[in-house]
Amino acid sequence: MPKSSMKTIKRRIKSVGSTLQITKAMEMVASAKLRYAKVRAEALRPYFEAHAELLRDIASQKADFSTVFTAKREVKNRLFIVIEGDRGLAGGYNSNITRLVGEYADKFDNPENRPKIIAIGKKAVDYFKKRGWDVIGEYPYFSEDAKASRCADIANMVTDLFKSGEVDEVRVFYTAFISALRQDATQIKLLPFDTEKKLKMNPEQDDTESALSAKKSRVSVHYDPSPEAVFDRIIPKMFLSMISCACIDSYASEQSARRNAMENASDNAAEMIEKLSLQYNRARQEKITNEINEIVGGANAIS
Amino acid sequence: MTPFNLQIITPDGFLFDDRAESVIVRTTVGDKGILARHEPYSAALGIGKVKVTTNGKSRFAALSAGIITVGSDKTVILAQSCEWGDEIDKKRAEIARNTAKERLSDPTLSANEHAVAEFKLKRALNRLETVNR
Repeated sequence: MPKSSMKTIKRRIKSVGSTLQITKAMEMVASAKLRYAKVRAEALRPYFEAHAELLRDIASQKADFSTVFTAKREVKNRLFIVIEGDRGLAGGYNSNITRLVGEYADKFDNPENRPKIIAIGKKAVDYFKKRGWDVIGEYPYFSEDAKASRCADIANMVTDLFKSGEVDEVRVFYTAFISALRQDATQIKLLPFDTEKKLKMNPEQDDTESALSAKKSRVSVHYDPSPEAVFDRIIPKMFLSMISCACIDSYASEQSARRNAMENASDNAAEMIEKLSLQYNRARQEKITNEINEIVGGANAIS
Repeated sequence: MTPFNLQIITPDGFLFDDRAESVIVRTTVGDKGILARHEPYSAALGIGKVKVTTNGKSRFAALSAGIITVGSDKTVILAQSCEWGDEIDKKRAEIARNTAKERLSDPTLSANEHAVAEFKLKRALNRLETVNR
């Protein structure tokens, strides 16, 4: 084998080696961030679930109960809140959400009446703007530090749009964090509020416990000052907790997805280096053998 | 006194999840005390103090906006933020109060900004009051 090929192999080993360093570093950063995100996601969950339970209880107790949030109306305009990451290199994390949004948009709407989009995360902002969707809210670099006050902006905007009748249905697209190895791109309907169905952030949970408590709590509750007042007060809080919960869940998923993607990349790089080293050694040996052959051949010719 | 199950849940997790003898909260229509076997009840909470009594000892917490629900098996307080008085950083609360005061004296504030600053001032004052209990 010619000498130049040895050189190319060596160069490739070096380049794969530096890629490996980068993916290893990214993997480590992602796992550190994941640990933090997981704690936050788990801390927020009881808050969210208590809200959901409370809302359902209130709604189920009064038959004549109706506010603008529960009233059925013809769905003409939809609003999708799409939560993606700010950076790439996270496996299918961003594209899974994008695909899901596309599927839902195709299912509901004709091409002339695309849903409005509130994009959270730089990737979502870029994608939907580039493709000419009606992006009415842009929140890049949001999920990493999803403060309640910033989520409140979105929650208020959604509430206003719904109240004024500009949108008739609101859905949130996010990635549910199920375990370090599994994250699911999912969507939940935020509005109009469905009093029958249980809202939940984690699709894996079983319903038995809350079904029980729902039955139990069908006693008349004293609302101060009135059920409507309490309900109207909870709704924006509920959106707030749902949006921040979805953001934090998505963020944990993103880190997890990136960690897995980088782990795979590191493994592949290590494997590649192994293969290339083998090739390199083979080429080296071949070269030595050739040299010996030449020397022996030369010596034979002389004697 | 008979204890009952009380949970105080914030976005950062459970602040309290145990049995308590009484809890006093400030609802939007006035202070309300809850004891064991209270009728099912639900109300919105404003900025104010929460007094939790367990084993005859009382502890205060500063709460900003939330909801209380009394059910047959447990009482739940959902709060946007809620901190124990003895865990509040007094210096930080003082700084928050002063910046909010300064902001309020700015005449160019929009109505919305004014409301936010006022809310922040109220919250800071409430936290300071809770610390001093």
